Amino acid sequence: MLQVRDGAGETLGVLFDRYQTPLLNFYCKLTGDRGLSEDLVQEVFLRILRHRQTYRPGTPFRAWIYQIARNARIDHFRKTRPQVPFEPEMAPSVNPADPAQQQQESELLHRALMQLPEEKRELLILCRFQELRYDEVARLVGCGVSTVKVRIHRALQELREAFHQLQSAPADSSQRGAPQNFPPRRLGHEV
Amino acid sequence: MKCEQIAELLPDYLQEALRPEQSKIVEQHLAACPECTEVVALWKKLATLPDEQPSAVSRERFEAMLHAWQSGRADNLETAKRPSLWSTFQWLRSPVGAVAWSIALLVIGAYVGLQLGSTKANSQDLAALHSELAGMRQLVALSMLQQQSASQRLEGVSWTRREDRLDPQVLSALKHTLRNDPSVDVRLAALDALIRHSAQPQVRSSVVDALQEQQSPLVQVALIDQLVEWRDPQAAQHLEKLRQSPNLNPTVRQRADWAISKLN
Repeated sequence: MLQVRDGAGETLGVLFDRYQTPLLNFYCKLTGDRGLSEDLVQEVFLRILRHRQTYRPGTPFRAWIYQIARNARIDHFRKTRPQVPFEPEMAPSVNPADPAQQQQESELLHRALMQLPEEKRELLILCRFQELRYDEVARLVGCGVSTVKVRIHRALQELREAFHQLQSAPADSSQRGAPQNFPPRRLGHEV
Repeated sequence: MKCEQIAELLPDYLQEALRPEQSKIVEQHLAACPECTEVVALWKKLATLPDEQPSAVSRERFEAMLHAWQSGRADNLETAKRPSLWSTFQWLRSPVGAVAWSIALLVIGAYVGLQLGSTKANSQDLAALHSELAGMRQLVALSMLQQQSASQRLEGVSWTRREDRLDPQVLSALKHTLRNDPSVDVRLAALDALIRHSAQPQVRSSVVDALQEQQSPLVQVALIDQLVEWRDPQAAQHLEKLRQSPNLNPTVRQRADWAISKLN
């Protein structure tokens, strides 16, 4: 990243290869919109080029790039204010190697995740899928580590309830699978 | 230990950040508490959700963006300081540099020819020379718009910006690029290039036509914004048609609603 910051744009390709898939999944799981997610990934790397001078040597790059990713999405929603519906094609794809029950559980879990309020969904995605530590997430969202832990616990409780509801009424689950998108809030420093 | 007390330890347990004795306390509780066990099981199941893979054009889009950014940065540096001999040489080695070099040679050759051939170089000859140069620039643009690489097509679009007035053939190529180019970045660049020539009658109609065919929400929103900026009286009916399309991205539909309210 220091090379990118100091003007070597070619080095950005290495970062792109390393982070495009995690970022795509961050956005896909958060918004349920693959097309938008791909656009936002490109936007993140454009912002890295524009704001590379704001990267401070010695600070974790992973936290910095997710700060940019969050802000890119916030700015996008600020301009457009969309409420993206759940897209059935974004549900987990069928893996023939898995037993049918496991497949069904996987789909229900994905729907339950999409039902969570966006802030809780984002916390779970950052901690579980992006494998950020609680202290990294705390800095990212602008709160204390203990607050992150409490929110994670509450998010998991809510996920469990949503999962149970879907299990008991799978027939109309697609209707209730719409993501709970609230206008995201910008926290932490501006990038 | 009760669930409330375990709740303080559970998040760290999930990230395997507890000391062994604390982990043991949590595991003893889990053995007796189906609810907390279920939370842990859900946490583990989350990791089994499949990942999305980037599309094949993702890397190409990135490279086009990087190339466009580097070109813009090079232009800025050029205006800030005089380029070195080496950087001039490097630039001349690029395809665009080679074409520019050829044009420069043509100009010098024509000038010398005119000076040697006749001391009465008249304005007609100069006008013909200008026209020929404009034609060559347009040929370069047309050729680059048909390249495989998105970055080269982006350069082709930027060549069209050098013209005061678009040749019908270049206009047609830009319209085609706006409608059909696989890269969103190139389509957006084509839109920008067309907007610069909005005084030409066909440009506005091409933007309206492109609206119905676009699939990318980014391009659709850019087109809608442009129609609002032009205050095109015919745009409202096209926007209405667009918003009735099935499978329209909700963001675009919302933008179309906003645009219709602005235009009415």
